[in-house]
Amino acid sequence: MNTVTLTEVGKSFGRTDALADVSLALAPGITGLLGPNGAGKTTMLRILATALAADRGTVRVLGADPSTSSGRTEVRRHLGYVPQETGFPRGFTTFSFIDYMAILKMWSDPTQRHAEVRRVVDLIGLSDVAPKRLAALSGGQRRRVVLAQAMLGEPDLLVLDEPTTGLDPAQRGRLRDVLGRAGESATILISTHQTADVAALCERVVVLDGGRILFDGTVVDLVRQAEGRVWLAQERHPAARHAWRTGTGRVRNVGDPPPGVELIEPDLEDAYLLLVGEAGTDSELEAVS
Amino acid sequence: MSATWHLDTSVLESYAAGRSTPVGGASVEAHLMECRECGAVLRELMPHEPLDQAWRAIRAHVEAPRAGLVERVLASLGLSSESARLLAAVPAFRGAWLLGVFTVLVFAGVAAALADDTGLTLFLVVAPLIPVAGVAASFGGDADPAHELVTVTPYSSLRLLLLRTGGVLASSVPVTVLLGLVLPGPAWLGLAWLTPAVAGIALTLAVSPRFDTTMTAAVFGVGWSFAVLSAYHLGDPMAVVEPLMQLVLAAVALLALAVVVLRSPSLDLLGRNP
Repeated sequence: MNTVTLTEVGKSFGRTDALADVSLALAPGITGLLGPNGAGKTTMLRILATALAADRGTVRVLGADPSTSSGRTEVRRHLGYVPQETGFPRGFTTFSFIDYMAILKMWSDPTQRHAEVRRVVDLIGLSDVAPKRLAALSGGQRRRVVLAQAMLGEPDLLVLDEPTTGLDPAQRGRLRDVLGRAGESATILISTHQTADVAALCERVVVLDGGRILFDGTVVDLVRQAEGRVWLAQERHPAARHAWRTGTGRVRNVGDPPPGVELIEPDLEDAYLLLVGEAGTDSELEAVS
Repeated sequence: MSATWHLDTSVLESYAAGRSTPVGGASVEAHLMECRECGAVLRELMPHEPLDQAWRAIRAHVEAPRAGLVERVLASLGLSSESARLLAAVPAFRGAWLLGVFTVLVFAGVAAALADDTGLTLFLVVAPLIPVAGVAASFGGDADPAHELVTVTPYSSLRLLLLRTGGVLASSVPVTVLLGLVLPGPAWLGLAWLTPAVAGIALTLAVSPRFDTTMTAAVFGVGWSFAVLSAYHLGDPMAVVEPLMQLVLAAVALLALAVVVLRSPSLDLLGRNP
């Protein structure tokens, strides 16, 4: 059953269409959102997170209509959100900031609220830094503080805008574990530039570019689109759309292969690069891992 | 190390449940020092709940958010700990801001007390602008670094706005009122600056978040300063706070507050483009 539906949703900033009449339906589980910078990912996530109102189209989130104030409040009771960037009020510790967010999320009973704060602090692995001031934490730790507040109350909808930015591999692994378990019941939409995270976590992937959906399907189907189009060679081939020297010293070429080359299995990154490249975007492609 | 004999399970159960006599308990403990097997049996019999409770209590004590000075002062004034925490995030409660307010007010108050019209003019310029600047500094995307996160919580935006505005006023208005009351001139002068202050705050809130609150407050500040200085040059600095002007400013304040209330359903959205 769908928990989120966007029907021909558009959003413009001045003359720029950040989202151009996009339709999308999400059910419980984890969906990855890929796309170059300026593709409209953050705008889409902000609309889903009720931070922005759509200019056109219909949005339904968890059965509520976020175009009304009461609908937004209803969605927000069941929402966990990680924005692309955020700051923190000065002087707060990890615990007091998450407690502050819990107050804003209407946890009025102090005993229950503190217990819930401790639960998410433990869940995200922040116990060691709970009494520390946020100003003294590393960038990765602060990112995890934002994730921890998103997990308050085990929300039915998690909207995560580049949640793995700044995390080291061990922290990313732990986050995948946490999200994997949350995704068994919650609807999770993750925007990221890390195709490895999408491949590891998401069954479904949506690729956005220029405010339009280029692809919506399973990771397997997207990877399949690159079959027969990735090969290894000693040098970069002129026909390759993308090529880079790998750790083995050989060059991984992605594009339309000449006859007789050594084809290899594609991965999600290859398929993503081909898809976005063929869409004719001139956006800067992110350095995907 | 293991003993050659073992405690009866019923004895261990009594010990685990805390029913042993002092002498019996000491005997059990003496045996447990020597016998690993009985220790293992006891671990299974020990109820986990008291240990978990003790651990939770320790963590609650160590990790509980320590209320800062501002929060403690607000709580002592009768505010709930939740409201005090929400206010502690407001820039107007930072030490630097409070110190700045105090310094400017003392400066203006002393000037007003020492020199007749010039000092009075200075006080009339400064007094209403301080709470307006406090409100401007406490709202909008630039003022609250966690604005986007706070926006998408179910907490009422209008309630938060009023709470924060009340907090800003509480941080500057009492001192200003006291200073106004000790100034030379009519007693009502000590309160006369409140109407332009309320008008400035209401205007700032009415245009937020569509326009930058700092810019709005700056425009209001320039306009107000111009009005006060013009009155001074025309020989009557009190003209800006006389009854007719008070009525005009009150009308502006009411109009702007009506806009705030009418726009409150959209206060909970990000105002400016990303």
